[in-house]
Amino acid sequence: MTRSTVRTDSRLATVAGYVAGFALLFLIWHLAATLLVKSILFPPPWPVFERAVVLIEDNILQEQIVASMRRILLGFALGSAIGIPVGLAIGSFRVVRWLLEPWTEFFRFIPAVAMITVAVIWFGIGEESKIFLIAYTTVFVVVISTAAGVGAVGRDKIRAAQCLGASRLQVFALVALPATVPYILTGMRLAMANAFVTIVAAELIASNDGLGKLLWDARLFMQIEDIFVALVALGLLGFATDRVFRFLIRIFAGRFNATV
Amino acid sequence: MSLVSLQGVGKTYRGRTGAWEAVRDFSLDLDDGEFFCLLGTSGCGKTTVLNMVAGFEQPSAGRILLGGAPVDRPGADRGVVFQGHDSLYEWLTALDNIGFGLRLRGMGRRERRAKAEHYLHMVGLTGQGAKHPSELSGGMKQRIQIARALANDPRILLMDEPFGALDAMTRAVLQGELSRIWAETRKTVLFITHDIEEAVALATRVGVMKRGPGGTLKAVVPVDLPFPRERTSDAFMAAFRSVHALIHDEIHGAH
Repeated sequence: MTRSTVRTDSRLATVAGYVAGFALLFLIWHLAATLLVKSILFPPPWPVFERAVVLIEDNILQEQIVASMRRILLGFALGSAIGIPVGLAIGSFRVVRWLLEPWTEFFRFIPAVAMITVAVIWFGIGEESKIFLIAYTTVFVVVISTAAGVGAVGRDKIRAAQCLGASRLQVFALVALPATVPYILTGMRLAMANAFVTIVAAELIASNDGLGKLLWDARLFMQIEDIFVALVALGLLGFATDRVFRFLIRIFAGRFNATV
Repeated sequence: MSLVSLQGVGKTYRGRTGAWEAVRDFSLDLDDGEFFCLLGTSGCGKTTVLNMVAGFEQPSAGRILLGGAPVDRPGADRGVVFQGHDSLYEWLTALDNIGFGLRLRGMGRRERRAKAEHYLHMVGLTGQGAKHPSELSGGMKQRIQIARALANDPRILLMDEPFGALDAMTRAVLQGELSRIWAETRKTVLFITHDIEEAVALATRVGVMKRGPGGTLKAVVPVDLPFPRERTSDAFMAAFRSVHALIHDEIHGAH
């Protein structure tokens, strides 16, 4: 068997596994709702699906998804753009580490959810407060994993470059930086999960749209199916985003690290 | 004048548990074109000697000269082959690993490629240049390391137990290859090992180190056997026995 057919086979098996896994999840949900709980407060998948179709036809679900994802992506990009260089600097220079480690060690224990109040006071309930919160929740995870990646570059890799004639700048750009890429991407992937937590919390409390707002309104009006539509949408979006991330990691860094 | 000169070199590490003298009063002159094997038991300080010649560590006493100039940092004039293969860059292909030093010097892509191909061929990996290190076996990775060091055309090749982590058969094959490459290039080599047979098979001179701490050179034995060396020959056995007799006390001697 050639290599590419092996790869295609394993990919097919993966997809089939995922489909079966999701089918099982919905089946158990259905059984639990119809046989065990039998309550109006826990609808089975089918009415939720029907409700989702209505929300999609009315263009409501798409709008909430776009609103939430836009905030996530902007905040995530901003947080990563700040976090990567800061993490590289912390990992590379002891002075920067001494100066900035108290910051990261302090702020990463103040969850973004706790910052919602300040964010709203500072930036209002518009886009800025949400983007700030997502950037905030992204930046420390990325900083810490990037700095850890720089610290984990093998000593012999650096030494090999030195005795091949590399300057300090070349050691950084051609050895330390590429060796750190898998750590940066892993940090970003973790931060993306945080971003989902944060955006829902922020939209629950202060927003005019987004999936969090959909959840909140559904609670107010006791539209139980809407709640489940929002929950399933979040799960699927998170799953899809993580797939995209893993795909990108494989493209950019598959050869860096066989464990991805 | 000798190529490399170690003059009364000592190295003491200071830590929380006190001072540890790894190397004491080590003196040695390496001539251009020779293959010098530094043989010693583990913990005798032989790797520390190599690290100081490479410029990774600074001597606490004495001095090291390369072509008359003091060594104080790593440089492209000393190529190093490390014991572990995690010194290779896994995001680069085998060919780009070999050409890494040339890239640092700003050599053009085409010229670099041609030169890297030449050394890839020299280490017997023709056609494997597009593979990444993760796709290569341990022995192949060490060949890439050797090619990478040679492609940079250093004045001396420093090898720190490069075959220590390989299985016995791969090791024997690579020893033969290294001998051939050395005969082709006549590059000066300082080779660290704890394997008597390896030292006798490769070296033009073998330096035997005293047991550590405070490891120092006990004796230097010339090995005047023609290449390629026949390991089962009487002359090889005799050379083996003479080196073995020297190191025997270091292995079994009372503490």
